[in-house]
Amino acid sequence: MLTFREPLEIADRPKMDADVVIVGGGPAGMACALRLSQLIDEHNAIHPDAPLSKENIYVLEKAREAGQHCLSGALLDPRAMRELLPGFETEAPIEATVEKEAVHYLTPTGHFKLPLTPPPLQDHGNYVISINRFVKWMAEKVEAAGITVFTGFAGSELLYEGNKVTGVRTDDKGVDKHNEKKSNFEPGYDISSKVTILAEGTRGSLTKQLVAKLDLARDSNPQTYGVGVKELWEVPSGRVAPGEVIYTMGYPLTAKEYGGAWIYGGNDNIVSLGFVTGLDYQDPRLDPQRVLQEFKRHPFVADLLAGGSMIRYGAKSLPYGGWWALPALAGDGFLITGDSAGFLNSARLKGIHLAMKSGMIAAQTAFNALRKNDSSAKILGLYPKRVGQSWIKEELWKVRNFHQGFEKGFFAGLFHTALQQVTFGRGLHERYPSHAGHENLKHLAALPVDGGPDEHLLGDAKGDGKLTFDKLTDLYHSGTKHEEDQPAHLVIHDTNICNTRCVKEFGNPCTHFCPANVYEMVEDTSGPAGTVSPKHISLNSANCVHCKTCDIMDPYQIITWVPPEGGGGPNYDGM
Amino acid sequence: MPETILVIVEQHQGKLNRVSWETIAAAQAIAADTGWAVDAAVAGSNIAALATEVAAKKLAKVYAIDSLQLDRYTPDAFAAACKQLITAKQPKLVLMPHTYQVRDFAPKLATQLGRCVISDCTGYKHDAGKLLFTRQMFQGKFSADVSFGSDGSGSGAPWLATFQNGAFRGDKAEAGSGAAPVETFAVTLEAARNQPEDWFKEAKQAVDLTQAEIIVSVGRGIKEQKNIELAQQLATALGGEIAASRPICDNGWLPMDRQIGSSGQTVSPKLYLALGISGAIQHIVGMKGSRAVVAINKDSEAPIFEIADVAVVGNLFDIVPPLIEEIKKAKAGS
Repeated sequence: MLTFREPLEIADRPKMDADVVIVGGGPAGMACALRLSQLIDEHNAIHPDAPLSKENIYVLEKAREAGQHCLSGALLDPRAMRELLPGFETEAPIEATVEKEAVHYLTPTGHFKLPLTPPPLQDHGNYVISINRFVKWMAEKVEAAGITVFTGFAGSELLYEGNKVTGVRTDDKGVDKHNEKKSNFEPGYDISSKVTILAEGTRGSLTKQLVAKLDLARDSNPQTYGVGVKELWEVPSGRVAPGEVIYTMGYPLTAKEYGGAWIYGGNDNIVSLGFVTGLDYQDPRLDPQRVLQEFKRHPFVADLLAGGSMIRYGAKSLPYGGWWALPALAGDGFLITGDSAGFLNSARLKGIHLAMKSGMIAAQTAFNALRKNDSSAKILGLYPKRVGQSWIKEELWKVRNFHQGFEKGFFAGLFHTALQQVTFGRGLHERYPSHAGHENLKHLAALPVDGGPDEHLLGDAKGDGKLTFDKLTDLYHSGTKHEEDQPAHLVIHDTNICNTRCVKEFGNPCTHFCPANVYEMVEDTSGPAGTVSPKHISLNSANCVHCKTCDIMDPYQIITWVPPEGGGGPNYDGM
Repeated sequence: MPETILVIVEQHQGKLNRVSWETIAAAQAIAADTGWAVDAAVAGSNIAALATEVAAKKLAKVYAIDSLQLDRYTPDAFAAACKQLITAKQPKLVLMPHTYQVRDFAPKLATQLGRCVISDCTGYKHDAGKLLFTRQMFQGKFSADVSFGSDGSGSGAPWLATFQNGAFRGDKAEAGSGAAPVETFAVTLEAARNQPEDWFKEAKQAVDLTQAEIIVSVGRGIKEQKNIELAQQLATALGGEIAASRPICDNGWLPMDRQIGSSGQTVSPKLYLALGISGAIQHIVGMKGSRAVVAINKDSEAPIFEIADVAVVGNLFDIVPPLIEEIKKAKAGS
């Protein structure tokens, strides 16, 4: 029997007061905290008589250490960092400066290089970074500035007064598999905050609750996502130069699926490579981790990796929807930043700089709220206005219809992209609509039994142990660890659907799209010997790498990802 | 009359819990700052020797609460006894070590006295005449200094506080120049409503798998919970221990301390017998140091065979029962 994590009724929770709580210590949250600290320092220098304190500004981070749940390619467009910390290059952990880039189109056995790199993918002057190391470094800056980062604490619920967000509840610790308190039980804190800033990253769990409760996406396109599955490799020298950037399109995906790969050269023969598969594919048997394995088997990639070794694995979803998919960004007591809002430029495959910039603008707004002692929508509503006047909008507006253009496949996408290029992002319509990606999944009955042209993308990767890996071996390299004795944090609202309807209609796509083997259909052995019972859903929650793909792609939308006990999750050292 | 601090020390069957010395050291430190006196109390049955042992420390007085009803710990009796002493002697501050036993009866005691407890303190501060107790928050990331109020709303004297194990050094508890007087304090106790069970033994690590020379480990191939018995019989026949891969422990078929692998124990026995274990890397890392690995699995491509010294491709239910018989025969013959 599965028991799912649920909020415990506790009359007497420890309470704390805060001025600002930032939920999530990634690029958006850390940039927000740093900017807030700078603004307060400036204020206090000018108004020594009426100083503002930083003591009650907190960053909550569910990972054991800052940066351990951060995963990206990553290429950094330095624009936001240069505004935040001019000259940051001298001390920040930067792997290399991009000096060479190319886009290749892969056919099943061959490849050709595009004669020129499309403007959005021109990366000269950007930096190859490890987002894990970069965020760790930002966290040091934040703590040195006097702002407290609570690592190992997740935001489990938002606190409300009516429709006003009044703070955050942190996760209950020491709850066993059956939602019972263990001897080390510690209730989560109720942190009352004047301003709550959501910087949870992609498909944030509190953001999802909030957007639903206040219907913040009523005027937005449905958000669309991809899932990036990444491996870090150490290869023989001379294969990929530091600062070399390769993008690929085409194989192993067919023209029906959206996605592509990156290969970035770092220092010391470290290569970051990964494959982003759009979470709007049709065949429910498709497996994004398998896609990456097939990609590596292509001779173009296999030659780069031959003789090397895989050292790290991870996966994370990313929001593609762009400008039209942003929810309302502010209201009474709250601001939404970074990937939680959907600040990502899918044409450039970049969002870190936008996340940082949104965090910085949120900081400015929160600072105004603190000064005026007013965190109502009237003051916080300035945040979306400022975003609209910033280069975030300038950049996202140009590509506002980019991803929607690919809804009808790769070649339609190229057509729309070309058209949008010459119409300043407009294309055929001012606003292209979009659809939630899971709606694209087709019933098994409507698909060829063997998958047809998608056959090589379906089912489990076998892995040869050198170039390709089965999922559990990959997963091992994510360093994922959770307290094992806790309720399942993948909350399935109706497991009957999994065990009956989904088996027939979609063949349990969760067992395929999850890059960490969390979902499994297992035989029921509880009946009398000799009876054949149908399989039922089982969860290996401790495998979860917090990518949120299940929450996004489940066709019935009955999976809700909630944070497990704080501190658990992947360990993305160097990713 | 100066204010007094009363330390309630903890004993079990006439043996002092060493952490009590830490609490005495804490009380002596507070006394040095405040000028208050320090008393101690020992509760139990037949504790005269213990009281004398405690009285060797620098204390104003030691109370011996000796009663047959305190022979075995019950929260009712201990709370009642402490309450009577506190009510009679009116200490300003009552200090206790933050042990399991104190955690058990201190809330009851405080409620009966209409007072509150500052529990699990890691230190104290004496600041401008005010006594502050330090507690950890956010798993030690923050420390909060907490004080008792004096408004009589449950936070007035006597104040109750408990100190975390290790907050003070027991060896710093000062010895007195002479033995402190021991005063017997008589209590009248009603029959406790609680019936004590036998003293809780430290959860006997049912097995220290890391010490086992032979391990029979089961995986999903065992199919059903009732088949665990078969593996147990094999383990018993071999004189080894039973262990499992994660799905088995996840299902609750074996306790979690029998789990081998990256989220369980790491073992290196002389013989590791893997029954129906596919051999995902998460399991392999927990047992690859084994001297000899024998694997039985239906799937000839199971990764466990890559590290097995003896690979048996077949149904474990066909193989294990005769194997048990053969082992028994061999053992009987030797």
